[in-house]
Amino acid sequence: MGYTITEKILARAAGLPAVRAGQDIKAKPDFVLAYDFPGYTDVYFKTMKEDFGIERVAEPERFGIFIDHMVPTATAKEEELHINTRNWCAENDVPLFERHGIGHQVAAEVGYATPGAFVVHFDGHVSQLGTFGTLAIGLRRNVMEAFVSDTVSIRVPDTVRVNLRGSLRPGVMARDVFHHLVRRLGPSSCRFQVLELGGPSVAAMSTEGLQTITGLAMFTGALTAIVNPDPVRLDYALPRARKKLDPVSSDPDARYSAVHDIDLSDLEPIVVVPPTPADTRDLTEFLGLEINAGYLGSCASGRLEDLRAAAKVLEGRRVKTGVSLHIVPTSQELMAAAAREGLVSTLVEAGAFVSSPSCDYCFGRIATMTAGQRAVSTGTLNVRGRMGSPDSEIYLCNAAVVAASAIEGRITDPRPYL
Amino acid sequence: MTMPIMRGRVAFIFDEINFDVDQIVGVKNIKITDVAELAQLAMQSYDPDFAKSVRQGDLLVGADNFGYGHPHYPPMKAMRHLGIAGVIAESFSPGYWRGEVSMGFPQVSCPGILGFVRRWDEIEVDWAAGVVRNHSQGTETPYEPLPQADAEMIEAGGLVPFLKRQAAQQREQKDHAHVPGL
Repeated sequence: MGYTITEKILARAAGLPAVRAGQDIKAKPDFVLAYDFPGYTDVYFKTMKEDFGIERVAEPERFGIFIDHMVPTATAKEEELHINTRNWCAENDVPLFERHGIGHQVAAEVGYATPGAFVVHFDGHVSQLGTFGTLAIGLRRNVMEAFVSDTVSIRVPDTVRVNLRGSLRPGVMARDVFHHLVRRLGPSSCRFQVLELGGPSVAAMSTEGLQTITGLAMFTGALTAIVNPDPVRLDYALPRARKKLDPVSSDPDARYSAVHDIDLSDLEPIVVVPPTPADTRDLTEFLGLEINAGYLGSCASGRLEDLRAAAKVLEGRRVKTGVSLHIVPTSQELMAAAAREGLVSTLVEAGAFVSSPSCDYCFGRIATMTAGQRAVSTGTLNVRGRMGSPDSEIYLCNAAVVAASAIEGRITDPRPYL
Repeated sequence: MTMPIMRGRVAFIFDEINFDVDQIVGVKNIKITDVAELAQLAMQSYDPDFAKSVRQGDLLVGADNFGYGHPHYPPMKAMRHLGIAGVIAESFSPGYWRGEVSMGFPQVSCPGILGFVRRWDEIEVDWAAGVVRNHSQGTETPYEPLPQADAEMIEAGGLVPFLKRQAAQQREQKDHAHVPGL
């Protein structure tokens, strides 16, 4: 019986010849990532010193800290949090990535998405490093273990394999694929397991699309998602890799707890109806619903293919008066590329408000909605109060739907615009 | 596990699947930090008399994928303040599970629990036997064994005490491994 990519990565990280799903192990993460956020990093830094007497981390190159929330700052208190983070990184020689973009994307750009590596963070959206054959798990507060000791205590997870076949039709994007998975498999289908994407269509999928799908894995209940790295992904990840590791893949006879087949050519654009990421519906059921705001951005969406789709829809058209459309590329690298392609000018000329990368739009810290308002969004989440008032609503959808809806001021099928 | 038996009444049954725990205090109250204030607000939309009826050691029961969504800590802080000693559910959403286990708050995954208890039944979790017992009905059912680290974390009373215990054990192992003079 063969092993899954997850079992292989964790066996190496645990220093064991082999591990199996269900086994409790202590594994040494190759990389420990975090963004600064009150109650998280500030607490880790303080606890390390005061409770564990750790003045400096032993292997600073294993760590990576991002400043992507509260960027730019709006209060002195937020700036103080960032100062504390900058100081800690400087004192510890830990790499700090401030204002490079949303950390989960930047982590891939700067080489933490090393194929075969085991990565931990507190935030589960780090799962998107799985695109490159990296096992990246969000441990919530328990990631503190990785700050105060070499290893983390985890149970080797089972794997649910999803095979993708067929190809997407125009107007259907990676966002639709992910939310279709939640609908087909269920929001608890991969609880405490790894969602492994495979099948004949994975190779043809864009890296950005795979980052979208893997980055949202938590809404299937998964601990993370992973793809067996193919030449396209290795070409991106290996030259940037921060550690020399052999990429690994699942064996053909690996054991999966379930195997599902998804035919991409069957899919239609979806919306995810508030107030839960579990409620995927057909876009066509909700056409015409009035909106006040559109948001295109986040760690899940906001990459070039999303910006291109929006630009195609918005080119030569105008955002409806009274609708605020915020477009936030996921990283500086992507924003610069979008500018070079001319996408930024197209979006700005159409009336979109284009901002530098920041996580802040996704959780309502800025562009805050008030009671009774409704947004279409490529943000990660649509729970009550996520983008402002608990009495505002978020409909999650793909980037083209956001753009088309912003033109018409109501939920709109983008396909006639493409 | 060497933890004492957890015995109490079923203070409430959340029978909604994918239950978003933020509903317990209401999303508009999620940023309140005063736990007494949160406790007063808790369960208002489910049972306005909840705070008055609940006793120290009572337990909550949940359905499948309890804690789904984007769970915050205040709802269960409020519940602990009211005396709730733990949650038993059909199954849990991993983010919620990790968050509460790191607070040292007992969580028990017990498929079938919804059909096994009624509200206000007197029940117990016997950690040594690995079962949930319903004293009101004279029945018992096994629960799913916890991952080792989660069990240890609950036993230690949360993440930091667990990590301190682990660090002490590792120091001890090192001391034993190092034999002076060799």
